Amino acid sequence: MDGGAGRITGRTCVRIVIVCVLLPRFQLTVAAGDREELLRTPAALAPEPGGEARVGEASPAAEAFGVRAGTPLGEALARCPSLTLVPPDPAGVADRWERLLVRLESIGAAVEPERPGLACFAARGLLRLHGGSLERVLAAARHALRQPARLGAGPSRFCALAAASRARVRRPMVVAGGEAEAAAYLAGLPVALLHGRRETVSLPEPLERLGIATLGELAALPRAAVADRFGAQGLLARELACGRDGALAPRQPPERLAEELELPEALSGVQLDRALQLLVDRLLARRERRGRTLRTVVLSATLVEGGTWRDRVPFREALADPQRMLLALAQRLALLPAPAERLRLAVERFGPPTSDQRSLLDEAVAVRRSRLREAVQQARAAAGPDAALRVLAVEEQSRVPERRVVLTPFE
Amino acid sequence: MSRSAGRTHRLGQPRRARVEADLNDGRPCVVDGRVVDGVRESWLVEDRWWNGSPIRRRYWEIVTTCGRDVVVFHDLRDGGWFAQR
Repeated sequence: MDGGAGRITGRTCVRIVIVCVLLPRFQLTVAAGDREELLRTPAALAPEPGGEARVGEASPAAEAFGVRAGTPLGEALARCPSLTLVPPDPAGVADRWERLLVRLESIGAAVEPERPGLACFAARGLLRLHGGSLERVLAAARHALRQPARLGAGPSRFCALAAASRARVRRPMVVAGGEAEAAAYLAGLPVALLHGRRETVSLPEPLERLGIATLGELAALPRAAVADRFGAQGLLARELACGRDGALAPRQPPERLAEELELPEALSGVQLDRALQLLVDRLLARRERRGRTLRTVVLSATLVEGGTWRDRVPFREALADPQRMLLALAQRLALLPAPAERLRLAVERFGPPTSDQRSLLDEAVAVRRSRLREAVQQARAAAGPDAALRVLAVEEQSRVPERRVVLTPFE
Repeated sequence: MSRSAGRTHRLGQPRRARVEADLNDGRPCVVDGRVVDGVRESWLVEDRWWNGSPIRRRYWEIVTTCGRDVVVFHDLRDGGWFAQR
């Protein structure tokens, strides 16, 4: 702990304490898998298929060459010709990250995931649960994660992130106090920390070019000047540098429901569509669905060339109709960059029960028509052929009244 | 009236009416025994003149003294008065 840091106990702490869990280069680590030696050499995540040609997370050795997440691929290779490109593994990252979030939630934390490798939760509600001190909460989080992570705590999310980025794996960093203490702690830190927030990721470079190297210098700038030069992004960055930040928005822990299919040989085209149909049928048949519709699903595949592919598919309206689901999913499956050897379909969010489906209303119309037809036949059988007639307009605009409408048999 | 299934039947067919008309302007004075109180509207229909059964009718919408609103027409081609709705 440094100057602004201190011990916070359950009885004395009345201010908001946010804990940040940071796993640096999480996506690169997962994509590298067993090849840990890659992380000691210049390496970066290759651009995602179909996406912008920019590299993903980079190893420390690559960063020494000036290669960072978001560097254009051409520029990255020019800066570091020996750069190894690691195929991205979005499905593996999502799975692993979900497991870690569930572990954090298992200690009672309401977690807000910012991006894979970075999550925050409020410590205040957990103090009594874990012995009354922040240190014990941090220890519980570290124990639950079961893997090395940097932990930081502070009065705002950004301050906690800054603390976590300066913490060591076994020594969490805690910034005690409120907004003023957070601003004082952040004042000496580099503006590069703004990379940690999705909204301000593009700001550090222009700020550095203008000679603004620390968050303290950014906080000291007039608000109007920052707004003129950087707009809403700049204003948010200045607020963060002043120790202020928005409230946490914890996620609702999702229900996990997924179906997976090992493909005997790498498939694509029509065969892959059939595999998808099988997955949809299996998913809809799961008892855990309890008659609910599906609002959002995640389609992922393990590619035969290595790496994975993942696509999140929110349906226009909640569905339980396999045909309509297939129509939506088959279009996404066409974007698969290479033949797949494993296909997975998981539910991300459920919709209301199936009884709200439009197809059932259509069936009701058909049933009503069928009943009406039956009633007409029974009336004709009882009262003769003219028992059911209907008025039919034949020449509605005719000037001769008797030509306008006729009586005709019902069907 | 007996109709077999499949046949159509026109609605609003004219039915013959007993009308006493003014000899000067042809305006109905008594319709089916009811005295006409006033004429609301009168119009001429000439139709089907391009085929073998042309139509020429003078329509009268009248209100009787008992409050009935009745539409009658005088067939200008074949003669006779008819009520129609």
